[in-house]
Amino acid sequence: MREVNENVPAAVDQRATAEAIERGGVGLTVTDLLAKVTAPAATTRPDADPPRDVDTLAATIAGIAGRYVPAGRLSPDADFFDAGGTSVSAVELVAALEAELGTQLDLDEVFADARPINLAKRMLARTGAATAVPEAAAAAAIGAVRPQAVATPPPLLAGSPPRLTTPSDSTARPDDLTQILADLSLADRLPFTASPDPVAPRRILLTGATGFLGSHMLLDLLRHSDAHVHCLVRAADEKGALTRLGEALKGYALPWSSEVRRRITVLPGDIRQPHLGLPGDLWNTLAHELDSVVGVAAAVDFLRGYQSLRTSNVLGALTLAELAATGRPKPLHHISSVAVFNEVGIPSMGEDDPLAHIDRLVAGYDQTKWAAEVALRRARDHGLVVTALRPGGIGGHTRTGACNPQDLSSGLISAFGRFRTVPAFRYLNAAPVDWVSRVAVAAICEPDAWGFDYNLTGVPNTLDDVVRDMALGGMHVRVQDWDEWRADALARLQAEPVPELAFLTRVLQSPTALKLCEATLKGPAATADRTTALVEALGLPPAARYDARAQLKTFERLAHDGLARLPHKDDQPYLWFTETTEGRVGPVGATPDTPCAMSLTLSIASMHQLVTDRRVDVRGELTCPALHPEPLTVARGDIWVRPEEGIPHGHGLRHQLLRYRLELTDTDGGRWWLEGHKYARARRDLWRQTRALTVQLGREGEPASLAGEVVVPADSYVRDQIDGIRVDPRLTGQEKRAAKLTWLAWFGLEMGRGLIGPFARAAADLLDLRRTPNSTEHHR
Amino acid sequence: MIFRTTNPRTTRPALRKVRTTTTLRALHHRLDPARVEEIPFHAPDGVRLGLTRIDTGDADRPAVLLLHGHTASADMFLLPETRNLVDVLLAEGYEPWLLDWRGSCRLPYNETGRRYTYDDVALHDIPEAVRHMRTRIGDRPLFVVAHCIGSLTLSLSMTAGLVPGLAGVVSQGVFLTPKLAGRTSLRMTLAGELLKSRIDHIPVDFRKVGLWSKYTPLFALASRKATCPDPTCQILHNSAWGTGASLFVHEHLTDTTHQRLAELLGPAPLWILPHLRRIELARTVVRWHDTDHRYRALPQNALDAAARIDTPVLLLAGSENGLWLDSQNLCRDVLAHRQPQLDVTYTEIPGYGHLDTFLGRGAALDVFGHILDFLDERR
Repeated sequence: MREVNENVPAAVDQRATAEAIERGGVGLTVTDLLAKVTAPAATTRPDADPPRDVDTLAATIAGIAGRYVPAGRLSPDADFFDAGGTSVSAVELVAALEAELGTQLDLDEVFADARPINLAKRMLARTGAATAVPEAAAAAAIGAVRPQAVATPPPLLAGSPPRLTTPSDSTARPDDLTQILADLSLADRLPFTASPDPVAPRRILLTGATGFLGSHMLLDLLRHSDAHVHCLVRAADEKGALTRLGEALKGYALPWSSEVRRRITVLPGDIRQPHLGLPGDLWNTLAHELDSVVGVAAAVDFLRGYQSLRTSNVLGALTLAELAATGRPKPLHHISSVAVFNEVGIPSMGEDDPLAHIDRLVAGYDQTKWAAEVALRRARDHGLVVTALRPGGIGGHTRTGACNPQDLSSGLISAFGRFRTVPAFRYLNAAPVDWVSRVAVAAICEPDAWGFDYNLTGVPNTLDDVVRDMALGGMHVRVQDWDEWRADALARLQAEPVPELAFLTRVLQSPTALKLCEATLKGPAATADRTTALVEALGLPPAARYDARAQLKTFERLAHDGLARLPHKDDQPYLWFTETTEGRVGPVGATPDTPCAMSLTLSIASMHQLVTDRRVDVRGELTCPALHPEPLTVARGDIWVRPEEGIPHGHGLRHQLLRYRLELTDTDGGRWWLEGHKYARARRDLWRQTRALTVQLGREGEPASLAGEVVVPADSYVRDQIDGIRVDPRLTGQEKRAAKLTWLAWFGLEMGRGLIGPFARAAADLLDLRRTPNSTEHHR
Repeated sequence: MIFRTTNPRTTRPALRKVRTTTTLRALHHRLDPARVEEIPFHAPDGVRLGLTRIDTGDADRPAVLLLHGHTASADMFLLPETRNLVDVLLAEGYEPWLLDWRGSCRLPYNETGRRYTYDDVALHDIPEAVRHMRTRIGDRPLFVVAHCIGSLTLSLSMTAGLVPGLAGVVSQGVFLTPKLAGRTSLRMTLAGELLKSRIDHIPVDFRKVGLWSKYTPLFALASRKATCPDPTCQILHNSAWGTGASLFVHEHLTDTTHQRLAELLGPAPLWILPHLRRIELARTVVRWHDTDHRYRALPQNALDAAARIDTPVLLLAGSENGLWLDSQNLCRDVLAHRQPQLDVTYTEIPGYGHLDTFLGRGAALDVFGHILDFLDERR
């Protein structure tokens, strides 16, 4: 393979260097490299410098870090995050290192490269105690055998370490670039392969089936093909893998039944291991039996650096390419990401447009997705059919609301709703997971679609769209500049921490992740002509804008999980008005003779409660001497409009129009309840039906002791309930008028529907009096 | 513009005139014919019905009675082209029984009008089928999985106490609280009143009525804004029998099922509309016969008698049900409020419509798992 590439002089020096670094002078395949990376022991050069050498320090750091990973121990050159460390535990690790070693370590440095050996080097470099060792991180892992190439580096690389004066947050770190080039060259070691048979797949290997997109794709593969799916799941054994997959599917509101289990096989393994961590014979069997490889697994973390993510995202992809190219020829379908375009100021994001400049990609996640896609492009030269599917933001499911609570877009949506502000972005290239998954699966199952690049970005949302959508839901947001928004959101998150949004706080504090956010928010709209053509050709549902309606379930789910927050009855109401009623109540069964009056304030916190519950909040007081000489306060009250679709309480034509349920407290601490109904009847006193409330009252936990009827006085109805509507003063005049009109239109329609019900039934009874003639059809 | 035609080509075959008995159209399945037992079965009022037992050779299996919807038939549970409910029940150790009640399209009544109301189904067909099964299965558990009108009439039988002691009931689409969209309801009433003196059923198979017939305007109306060019699909998917409702999510059907729609769903009789309308406007299942004492075993209002339900009920519905909308959700809410002692659960199947919960190509994955979970817990 090298001979072939040596004909290309421009790139060869650079690549040879990288390869040599990575290889340590000997031929190294993806497998060997993975073995090296994951093997615990690596001989590092002894550093004689006092006071502490790198090895000892690394061992100490590894000892401390071991406490924060599930296994309880960490080898000095294993990655903290790969071993199971989380963003939260990284914060704790930094604190622990500071406390026990007395040296300051930047959190971002831990995220960039969390191998204890490199942390030790950086700590020593910082304290000035160690000799500067600015060599490539890979070299440290490879060890003593130093290839000659490093001694005479090509011009591009030679200059970079000393001239590294650009701020670290606008360009990639040279260490990472060296490693990326080394990783890309691994694609050249893939075997050559023939074209796969153009038939719909029957046996598919799917990685990442426990993830958000992967689990949805697993179900879509089962639904829309007859294939049997082998799912690679990280677990100790098959039982554990099955349990883990089942938990994941159920967590995303997907079915997990014997019918699903019947069509899948779980393979306990690990994308980061050589041969996916599978036994040799299984690997060989798979290589010969599978007819499609689908790589969805990836480490999605916007804080971690390239070194930390490359085993999952780059080497994992290459291992899958190796599997696809070995044995029977199979297409490889790789879930990439529009992150490959995530450079600040990129002019366009079309399917065939050039990818970002790798040296301008800062976040490790972007770098790994770029490297994986470019490496697989090289694999295409070996005959491998590679389909690159690039989703943008993946929004929650439009029907189930299943979403990824640790995803950046979930965090941002939640923050928009909580703070009622949005940063001024250009486009949000996001599509719901059901559509992304459906289209990706269609491309996998359609041989004509294989081997191309697709942007699964849907229809981009503009800033205007988002602001309008949120206003429609009663959440009027204000637009801020990105920097202002970030500072503002961060301050609010720190002032009132939301545990579920802690990851967003960390992202907003990390310079690297901020670059990623900035590039995402200021980027152009992704275009997807090929995907659109595919969708049209296969008759799939066309991409639709991920609008308020589509996001509703997701938002509810985020609110349920504690990320977002739905407007609450204790908040400043969106809209409110007063209602007074007068009437008489008396003991149940007797003539009502005691006066009873209510003075209520009806309010709604958002349109959401109207659409989902048809419910209005109530406050106010009730005056009734039969209960207490002093007025009673409404502790909690709700009004349901057309409760239970108006179904009568008993057989008959008395339909429910409104239901009042109030919890009352008197000044002596006594607690009471009130249950009231307005009824629609097929009678001509419609005006009174809308105002008369039949009530029952009783002590808490006891049956009704009083009953009667209270009525809204005819002269106060229009004055209070139409002219008297008040709207949240923070809104503009236009927004206020729109809110008031929306409420009146909604309430008027609901009352109209409620009132017409009994009349429709009466009319149907009349129609039923018509004779049903014997049929005139011929054949009878 | 409903016009009468005297075209002899649209008349029925002469066989209908000489036939004296009612026969059932053959079932369409891929099971071993020796294992499919067709039981000669009549309702107590003498109407010929169909009852089919799938013999498993195992005498200990719990039995599951499957009730189809109006104008469908037992074929809807036996689709040979997909993994169907009978396959799944057999694989999981149940003994499926299929009843063709009088609204089945394997029977001629919808078309030739031996008229009935849903009262007859609730009073005769379902209780008699259960009685017959009990004589065969003894004290093995008996479950019922019912779809659409099959489920609605079952609710009337249950609240009348005519089918006591069921081990569990799975109801799909609609149960005690039917709710149609206002538009559907209005169209149903208008069309019914306008057409009832001219025709007595709405056919769905264009090939049987021909291009030029008195049904042509109905098909033309149903094709408005339709995306699929197949007239049968249009009159079911785009506008269910002309009411504007949608019976299934189009992309959930396989091509084969799509082509067989006319076989799976038959003509809808217009003379059932008054009862259906009364039920729908009341938002509860109500009895039609108020003065006929033969029907007094049925409650006047099934919801008022819901306390008689003595079995766990699983309410299933597709989130995109275009016919009964969120009736099942409403039913759960109403029963939770009025009859909190009942064991009623509601499961929504995201993305599914009405019929595709059984006919869809992914139904085994997305729907039947919920049914099996429910049955397994109570077997």
